[in-house]
Amino acid sequence: MGNKVKTICPYCASGCEILLTVEHGEIISAEPGQGRNNQGELCLKGYYGWDFLKNNKRLTARVTKPMIRRSRDAELEEVSWDEAISFAAGRLQEIKKEYGSDAIMCTGAARGPGNEANYVMQKFARAAVGTNNVDHCARVCHGSSVSGLELALGNGAMSNSIPEIEDTKCVFIFGYNPAVTHPIVARRILKAKDKGAKIITADPRFSEQAKISDLWLPLKNGTNMALVNALAYVLLTENLYKKDYVEKYTEGFAEYKKIVMDYSPETVEKLVGVPAKDIYAAARMYAAAESATILWGMGVTQFGQAVDVVEGLASLALLTGNLGRPNVGVGPVRGQNNVQGSCDMGALPNVFPGYQSVEDETLRKKFEKAWGVKLPKKRGICLTEVPHMAREGKIKAYYIFGEDPVQSDPDANGIREALAAMDLVIVQDIFMNKTALHADVIFPATSWGEHEGVYSAADRGFQKFNKAVEPKGDVKPDWEIIALMSTAMGYPMKYKNTEEIWDELRALCPLYAGASYKKLDELGCVQWPCVDEEDQGTPYLYEGNKFTRPSGKGLLFAAPYRQPKEMPDDDYPLVLSTVREVGHYSVRTMTGNCNALRILSDEPGYIQMNSADLAAAGIKDQELLWVASRRGKVIARALETDRANKGTVYMTYHWWIGACNDLTIEHLDPISKTPELKYCSVKVESIEDQEWAEHYVVTEYSALKKKMGC
Amino acid sequence: MNDFVIADPEKCIGCRTCEVACVLAHQEAPDLAALTKENFNARLSVVKTARVTAPVQCRQCEDAPCAKACVRGALVQGEVSVQIHEESCIGCKACMMACPYGAIEIRGNKKAGNLHVIKCDLCSSKDAGPACIKVCPTNALKQVKSEEFSRKINNKRRHAAGFVQG
Repeated sequence: MGNKVKTICPYCASGCEILLTVEHGEIISAEPGQGRNNQGELCLKGYYGWDFLKNNKRLTARVTKPMIRRSRDAELEEVSWDEAISFAAGRLQEIKKEYGSDAIMCTGAARGPGNEANYVMQKFARAAVGTNNVDHCARVCHGSSVSGLELALGNGAMSNSIPEIEDTKCVFIFGYNPAVTHPIVARRILKAKDKGAKIITADPRFSEQAKISDLWLPLKNGTNMALVNALAYVLLTENLYKKDYVEKYTEGFAEYKKIVMDYSPETVEKLVGVPAKDIYAAARMYAAAESATILWGMGVTQFGQAVDVVEGLASLALLTGNLGRPNVGVGPVRGQNNVQGSCDMGALPNVFPGYQSVEDETLRKKFEKAWGVKLPKKRGICLTEVPHMAREGKIKAYYIFGEDPVQSDPDANGIREALAAMDLVIVQDIFMNKTALHADVIFPATSWGEHEGVYSAADRGFQKFNKAVEPKGDVKPDWEIIALMSTAMGYPMKYKNTEEIWDELRALCPLYAGASYKKLDELGCVQWPCVDEEDQGTPYLYEGNKFTRPSGKGLLFAAPYRQPKEMPDDDYPLVLSTVREVGHYSVRTMTGNCNALRILSDEPGYIQMNSADLAAAGIKDQELLWVASRRGKVIARALETDRANKGTVYMTYHWWIGACNDLTIEHLDPISKTPELKYCSVKVESIEDQEWAEHYVVTEYSALKKKMGC
Repeated sequence: MNDFVIADPEKCIGCRTCEVACVLAHQEAPDLAALTKENFNARLSVVKTARVTAPVQCRQCEDAPCAKACVRGALVQGEVSVQIHEESCIGCKACMMACPYGAIEIRGNKKAGNLHVIKCDLCSSKDAGPACIKVCPTNALKQVKSEEFSRKINNKRRHAAGFVQG
């Protein structure tokens, strides 16, 4: 029997504990640990999602040597670390000198690197480059939740813990499909149902959650705000809200009421597509429960009107007093394993680590003193503002750390143009990816499994993850690479290990001050806030209904409904919504290189369509077809399913051939700058010669793999 | 009576962890790297219809149509399941035609030396029991054992008796 290494799963943010069996320096199997959230269970990604570490080159190859492109039209060449760092730092210095610090953008990484590396990256941006231009992929997913919840309640994170879900008496699932994105959270919902909870699901598709729901609200895509307002209307007009609670702990009631009174269920039923009686029933069911939890995902956040909806959902919880105690609350369940952590570490353009505003003089002085350098006070730009700012020549350099925007962000062709327009693109990653094809510098990093640190689970839970195997190739831990860059840029950074970074962070962040490595080792998981040595962490926020807003009260907020940007028309009659599939993860560099997961589903990926839409297009189940929007055209395989509503097609963003982000639109929520990935218009076209189409997919896939070093 | 594995469709979330576990359990030694599309022979299949999600697998019928249809004795009643003697299979596919659940499949061919009878065998060669049950994250799968069946039936009868007495 080999050695067992306890660690945390690198996929979704459920934060499952995994035991890896290691023999002769290689992982041979994974089994579940008894973690707080997973309790001896794992999904298929946890069990079978580790063999990407073997660099089997099934989709893409590990990067194992630093590479540079000496001029933009030259080929990438392998160089020493010294040369790569000196080249990248030198070019970055030149750009800083010529265009200023704010012409440089850096990203955090929400996946394998961990909290310490994100802390070091944002410190590098702020202290070494001199800009608050640091952001990460939270912007394209739960950015709207962070903004909306900060406005309504004062804290952008899940209010309660994942284990509490099973003891709530009503789970309201809104635009969220945990059976696919967080199977281990779906398990808690099933347990809640077993214990007698009512389940309500609002989703245009018939999801696994809809299957077990007492009430399924199949709303039309892009009508969230109208539905949320109508639910509030019922709570107010039927006196189902807690007047006492509202009076003591909230503000903004009068203005809130004025807006929602225009949204009676009868008024919105045609727009929303849900019968008024079901909207009444849902509001009554939610209000009647002694404890209720709202969970949501990208079906809320990836719209042009998303922050408003998040505030609207938080307001439903406020109206019914479902905050500030166990087994209630609001839960934006984060998608990537450490996307909560990257936010916690201040890889955001407006806050230092620990959600401390860059615009607050006192806080900035604290960081200036600790880091020994003058810091910029102007908030930085958001990740999703980079493409157009680059095309306008305002962003000249992009240090991309553990992200693949060409695959993950809307309008891939727009992203490619932006990368081409820049003077310097640095990619720091474990795998070659579509973005790395445009890089001037590639820094090869160690992966999950090859280094250690702390991740934050979706419910604010810090957990240590550990090294299982030695990295192969000339690779370095992310924080070391960034420290080398910083030093070369004239701001020396040197750390012995991740614990030293973590301790520097804790000293600067009251929210995390008590969460030492020692305590994490002892308790397994510590949920922030954890303010001192005695503090064991905080399973639920807002105890005593004290909200972390200036007034201490929660804000009731509603907004008039706005329709999505690009509505279907005669030319592009279908709505495209981007979704996920359970066996793959994010941009697929990891799961696409895992053998079992690859066999379960592979390129070009599916487009889920209602049988009536397929019949109308003359396409049969499993046939290849073209999907086109105003921005691009890709091939995909038809999956006939009447779980998909008529008029809307669903594609997952994992696929590199059937890349749905070649089609999506760069339209942003005005507050969070989160893109409307859940709504744009497309058309589908049948392909007569299916044999040709199958051959085309194979050829394209081989060519792509070759580019990726396979 | 035979044992069998069955899923609760209310609990199945369609994640297919069971399918991978099944395939690995039937390798000589579990080896992710050795899997190919061709040899990925899961003995249960997660099926999604418009309203139902559940893995479908062999019910280990008492008067098994597959065994009756097999002219070579490759499928026979064992102690608690319908057992496969793959070496006797000639690939006539009669079992596939006969099974009302679609739970048995012949794959590959004799010439290539990869003719396989793909059907749930309750992981009978493993002490730990069916691998699918062990990995299911929502505990949707269970093995129904004949002795438990009798106990459950008895419990139901006792419950029913209570109703009658008011």
